[in-house]
Amino acid sequence: MPPTTFVPTTVAELRDAVAGSVTSHPRLLVTAAGTAATTGGRPDPADAVVDTTALSGVLNYTPADMTVAVRAGTPLADVQAELGEHGQHVAFDAARVRRGATVGGLLATGDGGPLRQMYGTLRDLVIGVTVVLGDGTVAKAGGHVIKNVAGYDLAKLFHGSLGTLGVVAEVVLRLHPLPRTAVTVALPADAAAATRLGVELIASGTEPAALEWTSGTGLLVRIEGTPDGVRERVDAVLATNTAAHVLAGADEEAAWTAVAAVADPVAPTTTVLRAGTLPSDGPAFLATLGAAADAAGVTLACGSSVGVGVHTVALTGGGHAPVLAAAHAAGGSSVSVLRDSGLADDVSRWGPPPPAVALMRAVKARFDPADRFGAGRLSPWLAPTRSRDAEGVPA
Amino acid sequence: MEHSALRAEFVAAIGADAVLDDPVSLRSYECDGLTGFRVVPAFVLLPTDTAQVAAVVTICARHTVPFVARGAGTCLSGGSLPVAEGVVISLQKLRSVLEIDVENRRAVVQPGVTNLDVSKSVARYGLYFAPDPSSQQVCTIGGNVAENSGGAHCLKYGFTVHHIHEIEVVLADGSVTTLGAQSPHQPGYDLLGAFIGSEGTLGIVTRITVKLLAKPTVVRTLVADFPSVEQAGDTVTGMIAAGIVPAAVEMMDALALEAVEASVQAGYSLDTAAALLVELDGPPAEVETQFAEIEQLCQDNGTTKLVIAPTPESRAAMWKGRKAAFAAVGRISPNYFVQDGVVPRTRLAEALVRISEMADEAGLRVANVFHAGDGNLHPLVLYSEEAGEHDRAEHLSTAIAELCVDLGGSLSGEHGIGTDKACSMPRQYSDVDLATMTLLRKAFDPDEICNPGKLLPTPRLCGDRPGPHRAHPLEAAGIIERI
Repeated sequence: MPPTTFVPTTVAELRDAVAGSVTSHPRLLVTAAGTAATTGGRPDPADAVVDTTALSGVLNYTPADMTVAVRAGTPLADVQAELGEHGQHVAFDAARVRRGATVGGLLATGDGGPLRQMYGTLRDLVIGVTVVLGDGTVAKAGGHVIKNVAGYDLAKLFHGSLGTLGVVAEVVLRLHPLPRTAVTVALPADAAAATRLGVELIASGTEPAALEWTSGTGLLVRIEGTPDGVRERVDAVLATNTAAHVLAGADEEAAWTAVAAVADPVAPTTTVLRAGTLPSDGPAFLATLGAAADAAGVTLACGSSVGVGVHTVALTGGGHAPVLAAAHAAGGSSVSVLRDSGLADDVSRWGPPPPAVALMRAVKARFDPADRFGAGRLSPWLAPTRSRDAEGVPA
Repeated sequence: MEHSALRAEFVAAIGADAVLDDPVSLRSYECDGLTGFRVVPAFVLLPTDTAQVAAVVTICARHTVPFVARGAGTCLSGGSLPVAEGVVISLQKLRSVLEIDVENRRAVVQPGVTNLDVSKSVARYGLYFAPDPSSQQVCTIGGNVAENSGGAHCLKYGFTVHHIHEIEVVLADGSVTTLGAQSPHQPGYDLLGAFIGSEGTLGIVTRITVKLLAKPTVVRTLVADFPSVEQAGDTVTGMIAAGIVPAAVEMMDALALEAVEASVQAGYSLDTAAALLVELDGPPAEVETQFAEIEQLCQDNGTTKLVIAPTPESRAAMWKGRKAAFAAVGRISPNYFVQDGVVPRTRLAEALVRISEMADEAGLRVANVFHAGDGNLHPLVLYSEEAGEHDRAEHLSTAIAELCVDLGGSLSGEHGIGTDKACSMPRQYSDVDLATMTLLRKAFDPDEICNPGKLLPTPRLCGDRPGPHRAHPLEAAGIIERI
């Protein structure tokens, strides 16, 4: 039987749906655009789906304050279009934004893109949040000003929470000016060379906005700023390597599309993993995965933000589970499954738990004591995937 | 628990020399930078490493004795104010830089290392730690983590939370854990982000992996005088509209300039209504272009004098004036309160007009020093204890912070809530918001022994204060306990 679906259009409707279903539909699965439907652990069957896509729209945007408040179900691309008219943007470029990913979904999945080199992820850009908890509590933290240390920063808790604590209802983000100019320089390099080049470029004061390497494109250096400032730095990058060249027009677009295709591939049978390492350990980590992939007959596409040590790997063909196991062995708790198309249901998505897993469980127990949200998503870190008896009580 | 029995346990754990309980020693820990609040603790403990911190916290947990972590004690909001009958755990002996990783631009340091010493220890590699609170010569990294410290350059570079990879934490039960990771990709709840800025209420940080930045190639600094605060503010608005993100934009009004010049002779003008200190840093051509644009914006908005620092020394002098501003106010007033509210930048002018009116009504002077780029105000309420102005000044200071909330801002941009503003929190957050924040506190510290009475309002702290918004929110705290 298909589960009930709630489609709230306001925070009040969301609150009523959650509060009103405590006994009728205790287990809730929060969804949005569906661009990360298989991120994290496989969700347990839910009694109802909370579809946040109608909880959309910009609530408040004052360009001179450089902040924007939006309902969580708003596609980030829509927000960017409005901000762009005022020369601003959310400095965030996770691949699935192109497919309509929502602000709340991007926050809850802790996703990121190449701009993480300079701007971080939504974790670094969120300044306020409104959430709805399992008993219908509507709580906010943070606010509308960029600088604010009043109270606990609960928005951080929901970053990466995968819908296991409650529903993100509204989000306030800090903005950056759109760069006057942005140029991409491509440097042919393998992962090790790209990592080395990244170190040099950062040390020399190049201030790249992105330092993204993929097995297909080599190292892409994105430089933003004033036209003359960008020209100066581009010249400096070109001087490091005779094979370096500026990508323009369709070539530039194609290169960044190739980067996005690693994290968000078109092929439906692809598994996508993400992991973090010390930047200097990245090449060895990718080599380990490469060896496992060869042994399992898997074709890998690899991407790395080489300046910060975040790696994204797409697996096609062959058996994906051994490659995931190798990633868990080498990358520990930093490894997450962004898309699980090539993995059987019984393959654990998560590796060894992080040292603070007991705190994660304590936070879960306090924020969602009735265990209403996202069962399975963070299993077995939070709790083993359960089988439930007739009353819906965990076995 | 008998004092002597508790003492014996502490001595067994960390040695007699590290356990202070004589009245003279205790007195030197009775307050932090918010000197109006003083509480003498029962013990001051001086552990030397993580294991010793964990050992003494375990003892505190076993006997439900409250404890307060303390670095340099520079907190301006009473965040490290001791708890009566409680324990102060000083991190002053954990002051080593443990590891510097140049290639990956990070360092591992103990919490008692000062902010400035982190940057000094990596300067030879062309690296530095970006957060730079005015107290950076003495304040510690552990304190920066607790307070999510900012500083003058956070407009461009962000706060402490943006510059920490990983921390080791002793939790309230004495267990040791790690939050964060080697890279920014760490699945699950961002407990590191939630911990930073928790004002010592979620645990004691004992080891910190800080992110380091490459020193900018070029730094340019100017000071521009304006005939009015509005014109200076319009200049900042112009920068934002032009898409310029300066490293820092600081504004000082006439009274603040007077105080600074009386104290450190930074070369500021005494005959101007307002001055802007603007700094750009980054790649040379970028900085030159935008610096010229800022000069033009200053001219367009009627600057009466514009001084560009010709040398690093003159640049340092400009900053010395700004960074000494709080202390300098002591030259023109026997006593003062430092305020730390934030307003949306577009409401700065309105806030300043209201503050001026409120000061007039109270018959007190207010000097304004603030981070103009992000709306973080530091009004300094001048008063005289001798003249019996304390209560009036305190009331005005609180009213200014609450005005900031009413204008859509925040009680605190960087100094923290601590003891000082805990009772104002209901102005900014509803009872439900505060009860939800308490869930996080309880997840980390169910017995609330870790820096109790800070950040969140408590009936004990706020229940007996008069006034409509003083009513504490958690009295109806069935909300907290029903889970």
